[in-house]
Amino acid sequence: MHHAYIDKFAYQDSPVHRLDSRVKFIVVLIFTAVVISLPRTSPSVLACYAVGPFTILVLGKIPLRFVFKHILMVSPFVLVLALSCPLYDRTPVSVAFGPFLWKSSLGWMRCFVILAKFIVTMLALIGLVSTTRFNDLLTGLQRLGLPRLLIIQLGFLYRYIFVLIDRAHHILRARAGRKLRNLGTKAELKIAAAMLGSLLICSLGTAERINIAMQARGFDKNWRSLSKLQIGRSDLIFSLIAASFLLVLHFLVRPLLQ
Amino acid sequence: MQKAIEIKSFTYTYPDGTPALSNIALSVEHGQSLALIGPNGAGKSTLLLAMAGFIKGTGEVLIDGLQINKKNLKKIRSLLGSCLENPDDQLFMPTLFEDVAFGPLNMGLEPKQVKICVANALQTVGLSEMADKAPHHLSAGQKRAAAIATILSMAPKIITLDEPDGSLDPRSRNNLIGLLAGLPQTLIIATSNVNFAAAIADRAVLLDNGRVIADGDAKTVMSDSELMAEHGLEVPVRLKGGDRRGFGN
Repeated sequence: MHHAYIDKFAYQDSPVHRLDSRVKFIVVLIFTAVVISLPRTSPSVLACYAVGPFTILVLGKIPLRFVFKHILMVSPFVLVLALSCPLYDRTPVSVAFGPFLWKSSLGWMRCFVILAKFIVTMLALIGLVSTTRFNDLLTGLQRLGLPRLLIIQLGFLYRYIFVLIDRAHHILRARAGRKLRNLGTKAELKIAAAMLGSLLICSLGTAERINIAMQARGFDKNWRSLSKLQIGRSDLIFSLIAASFLLVLHFLVRPLLQ
Repeated sequence: MQKAIEIKSFTYTYPDGTPALSNIALSVEHGQSLALIGPNGAGKSTLLLAMAGFIKGTGEVLIDGLQINKKNLKKIRSLLGSCLENPDDQLFMPTLFEDVAFGPLNMGLEPKQVKICVANALQTVGLSEMADKAPHHLSAGQKRAAAIATILSMAPKIITLDEPDGSLDPRSRNNLIGLLAGLPQTLIIATSNVNFAAAIADRAVLLDNGRVIADGDAKTVMSDSELMAEHGLEVPVRLKGGDRRGFGN
């Protein structure tokens, strides 16, 4: 079965793809921390911050439709959180966007800021996973000192999430093929619980067989890999540009726009 | 010269008390290609697990003269490569290259040697171009070939394959037969597809209810229509008189 892979563009070639995964990860981490910690700021400032990840996405030849589709897919939780803000905070406030000025409430401001920060940070995150092979990302994280066990778990998660999705699809299809009428909420919940249980048992069986496959190839609980990562001149240039971008926004642009 | 595999009076019972294998005696010479045939639940996969030391029963299992015990287990697993039924269980690393490198790295080979082993294994199965692909990007036939590459990279003397033809289309199955037929290793293939077995094996062992029912030349065992029917199998198409069109399913 073919899935809409989150990293399907990671196998392309571009200057961004060729950057070291550690450098990209650290830059995205710092960028995300900076955006999240921005005070309740004006829309213009957040729009300026979005320029960075947009540039990465364009240079990495990542279609923006793909990006926004994935942002939409993960947005429901944030949307609920953001849209609840106007309900409990109706303090009037004036909002400026360039030469325009209008009145709104603090709740709507918060709602907008949450959504804008979410979109900007998601742009950066998608930029990272779409221009970095997951395997290189894991190797990079391991080289950055993340616990080996966590890396192994993430590797297995990435590898088997697709197998699990396939199994879930098969179970759902089998159910749809025999579901001729609505059985009512209680019965449907019971069926859903049984399906989840079946998936869990499948996962346990898979885990057991993977363990056999690993031991059959001499696994002795020590994870060994051939790492190919190397920080080069282009990585240093990228780091300098990213740092300059953040510093310029922080010291020059923000004071001007706020 | 030591036998590739020697099993003497091996008996295994599942933890719930169900007998799985009873008094198995089997001796396999190096270079042989042996098909373990039998209906579902005959004990074929369990016997393969016993050969790789994953289950312990009573009796004796010797791999290249080495008894299966904790001390010999590492050596045995570099001598005998196990290919599981579902390639998705076998291919657990993020890329094909890393998956094929997993065994050689655990054997303690130098990175340079590991890369050579991986390149050779991938070339043998015809997947050199796919090295950087994630396993979930491969087709069923490619996954099966990749699973075999993960074993070949360890250069084992013996390879066991559990239902290797499962869910393969005829073209992929033919490719797999071509690949397996060209391997110099001792092959133990557990399958309930007698047509597949007849295309590869020179010896067949018929298992049913955890017992060895017949053991001998592949053609002789598998052309016995009465014996095959009695144990829920059929005579392979290529061994039926007059009809030699292929082996189908």
